[in-house]
Amino acid sequence: MTADKSPRKDSAGRPDENFEPYELHGKMPWPLIAIAVGLGIWGAATLFDTREDVAAARDERIAESRVATGAGTEPGSALFVARCSTCHQPDGMGVRGAIPPLAGSAFVAQGPELVSTILLRGIDGPIRVGDHNFNGHMPSFASVLTDVELGELATYVAHRFGKSSETIEAAAVAKLRGELADEGSFKGGTEIASSTALELGSQPPFVEQTAVSLSPDVSAMIFTGRGEQWACASCHGDLGQGKENVPRLAGLPADYIVKQIDDFHSGRRQNESMKIVVASLTDEEKRQLGEYYAGLRVPSNAKPELGGNLARGEALALHGDWSRNVPACFSCHGPSGFGVSPEFPALAAQHASYTASQLAAWVGGQRNNSSLDLMGRISRALSDADRRAVADYLASLPPVPAGEDAKIAKIGERP
Amino acid sequence: MVTMGLLLALSFAVSLLALAFLIWAISNRQLKLDQDDAKVIFAAGDEGHLDSPDAEHSPARRHYFDAATSGIDRISKKPVTVLLVAATVWLIVGSTFGLIASLKLHWHDWLSAYAPLTFGRVRTLHLNLVIYGWLSQMGVASMIWILPRIFHTPLRAPRLPIIGAILWNIAVCLGAIAIANGWTDGEEWLEIPWQLDMLLALAGVFFVIPLVKTTIARQVHHIYVSGWYFLAGILWFPCLFVIANIPYIHSGVEEATVNWWFAHNVLGLWLTPLGVGTAYYFIPKIIGKPIYSYSVSLLGFWGLALFYSQVGIHHLIGGPVPTWVVTLSIVHSVMMFIPVIAVAINQHVTVARNLWALKESLPLRFISFGAVMYTLASFQGSTEALRSINTVTHFTHYTVGHAHLGAYAFVTLVMFGAAYHMLPRMTGRAFPWPALINAHFWLIVVGFAIYFFGLSIGGVLQGLAMLDATRPFSDSVTVTIPYLEARSVGGGLMTLGHIVFAINVAAILLPRRAMAAAKVVPAE
Repeated sequence: MTADKSPRKDSAGRPDENFEPYELHGKMPWPLIAIAVGLGIWGAATLFDTREDVAAARDERIAESRVATGAGTEPGSALFVARCSTCHQPDGMGVRGAIPPLAGSAFVAQGPELVSTILLRGIDGPIRVGDHNFNGHMPSFASVLTDVELGELATYVAHRFGKSSETIEAAAVAKLRGELADEGSFKGGTEIASSTALELGSQPPFVEQTAVSLSPDVSAMIFTGRGEQWACASCHGDLGQGKENVPRLAGLPADYIVKQIDDFHSGRRQNESMKIVVASLTDEEKRQLGEYYAGLRVPSNAKPELGGNLARGEALALHGDWSRNVPACFSCHGPSGFGVSPEFPALAAQHASYTASQLAAWVGGQRNNSSLDLMGRISRALSDADRRAVADYLASLPPVPAGEDAKIAKIGERP
Repeated sequence: MVTMGLLLALSFAVSLLALAFLIWAISNRQLKLDQDDAKVIFAAGDEGHLDSPDAEHSPARRHYFDAATSGIDRISKKPVTVLLVAATVWLIVGSTFGLIASLKLHWHDWLSAYAPLTFGRVRTLHLNLVIYGWLSQMGVASMIWILPRIFHTPLRAPRLPIIGAILWNIAVCLGAIAIANGWTDGEEWLEIPWQLDMLLALAGVFFVIPLVKTTIARQVHHIYVSGWYFLAGILWFPCLFVIANIPYIHSGVEEATVNWWFAHNVLGLWLTPLGVGTAYYFIPKIIGKPIYSYSVSLLGFWGLALFYSQVGIHHLIGGPVPTWVVTLSIVHSVMMFIPVIAVAINQHVTVARNLWALKESLPLRFISFGAVMYTLASFQGSTEALRSINTVTHFTHYTVGHAHLGAYAFVTLVMFGAAYHMLPRMTGRAFPWPALINAHFWLIVVGFAIYFFGLSIGGVLQGLAMLDATRPFSDSVTVTIPYLEARSVGGGLMTLGHIVFAINVAAILLPRRAMAAAKVVPAE
């Protein structure tokens, strides 16, 4: 139909007021049909494509539920490589003068039950293995491994290095975990020997660390705030455990903490909140704060939370990425990232968001306090995904030295 | 292996095929009907030879109808006046709150001493007043004017819309007071407490009944495309509004999903039908030429009906909703290209072939500017739904710019044009100062251009700053400040334009005696 007459116009050249809108029967333009068909195919393909995402999400849920229910965990050997071999070495021979060997150790030879007990509690004191004394710094794995994993790992270690034929089941580990809940880490070999009544050879005596004496003023600053400054604990937690973007302070070297306070003050580290709270601290107060937090023992409440690639994070932490001139984290921060006092803080069990945001801050210039700009150079070489990967991996490691579970359970994780 | 993706892809493809078949079937049948209709005019045997040169007997003559003398407009006039005046008042109040909210983003401590004037409440007031106070009422006014005209029959139950308008304005007013005092449902677009929403829904019934009764009593067989959009809109919106407002049935992620399903559908299944339907009527009406293609209209309408309802979930990309729900929403968002292109072809082709009319008619200038903005806003919206673009632009001012391109530059401009076209015909008078209409047009167009480009550029910069982990979060805020200032300038011009609009409305409705005496032909 082509009723498209020229509009009837009145004398002023205007269209007729009484014209009624209607539609012609113009053909559907072919580009419109083409676009519609094209988009239709694209839409169907995109929806078809989501089946991979859906399948991936399903696999992830299945894997998670397997871990949660204890069905089909990795064999102990994989756990050993991931969790033990960075310090005790893949052959279990340890490092002379620093890390005790597992092979031939009287402790390991006692069987998987003692091994799991040590894994659960950790060691924080002198220990004698073979003919050598070591300063024990064994982390507690209670917070990072499940009962099933601990059982597998202890059985594997006791079997491989202690020639034990016993096994320990998840249920037994769970029972142990319940009994040991508020024990804290072993104060060296002496306590292991005395508490288990096993024959472990002569053990060096445990010397109590001199307790940090806090002045009432500093104590108030930590727990209740002082004047314009709010309490340290209001962000860093009652035990310095931190949360999300607020760092874990417990167990960091005192000198490191003092240096950071100075850097916040001078602006080499930019953070509006910290700038205010450190403004009026005296040198003595800084020292006391540093020593207080260095002496705290708290289990990890950090976990991977940034969706980083843990395998990539592990590779960066253990081996670095020399194609980008990035050294391994552990080459300076110590095996398992437990820190090398006083320059290199512990990275293990640090909150992933915090670690990633600090790496980003070095790139962006908000943190500029690394000796020789070491961390600045490393951070700039890392991609955003790498920063998240390594931060997530470090958050999955147990803290050194181990903490006392009961404390954090009682006090809770206040922000 | 049967998977979710396969099922979705299959059902999607099948529904597309069904749509294509439906459009093909209807447009073919209608074409036949029309030809038969045309033949009815001729007595048997007359057909085929020239009867008389008189245009009265040509098929085209069927498309002329005198709404004014048949008394249709006289009956529609009252409810339309009430709704239009109330809408204009809310437009002024609503845009003032919008301007205050905009200024607060760069004058941070301004007016922060009183809780009702803090940003969170002022912005919310702006949103609710312009959506429910201005756009909805003005849209209903436009429907009440247009539907009886295309159905060739007076509005049935003409008192009901006036009762509805009174209830509606009471509800909007109470809703505003509730929001100002911090009593809200706590969900974007659904802030008005559900107890008051029930009053709004009741008022809506008073709008819907007369329109449905008029439709049933219609004197024409074929319903013109504007009618489809309007009738669908008054069916869709009450459903959306009631379902989304029923308390205590959705919680958590489900609540968020329903929230965005509703919020986006208010735009697509309520404001869009109002705006597109109005433009579909007034563009050919003012130009005096028909719309290009019936089958393209069909594609435009059914495309909107089929795809739009799933669009809203693209606001939850990255949220804890099942992947397939989000992907489905993204696909539907992109599929909106089809109906939008269809509407664009029908409306813009008619205007582009008759550019002379833009010079002559100020209302047409508003309406076709609005129609072009519908095309642009929808294209922009479809691309914003894609994950790659959404990552940058979502949660930034870019989204705000887009929302205003749709709700303001499209629907509001079309409604301004409709008001300017209807008012002289309602009153039988001309606007005393046509220059003020022109001033209104340029104030809001220039104002909006500043507003839109400011927010779009600022929003992208803000999004990029937020994505860059090496920059502190505060960078993403400070980078936007000059653009927020530009937004306030643009918003100020727009608000000024609205005051000019209100002056125009008041001037034609309340004429001074001398002017009332001299009744003039409406100036187009």
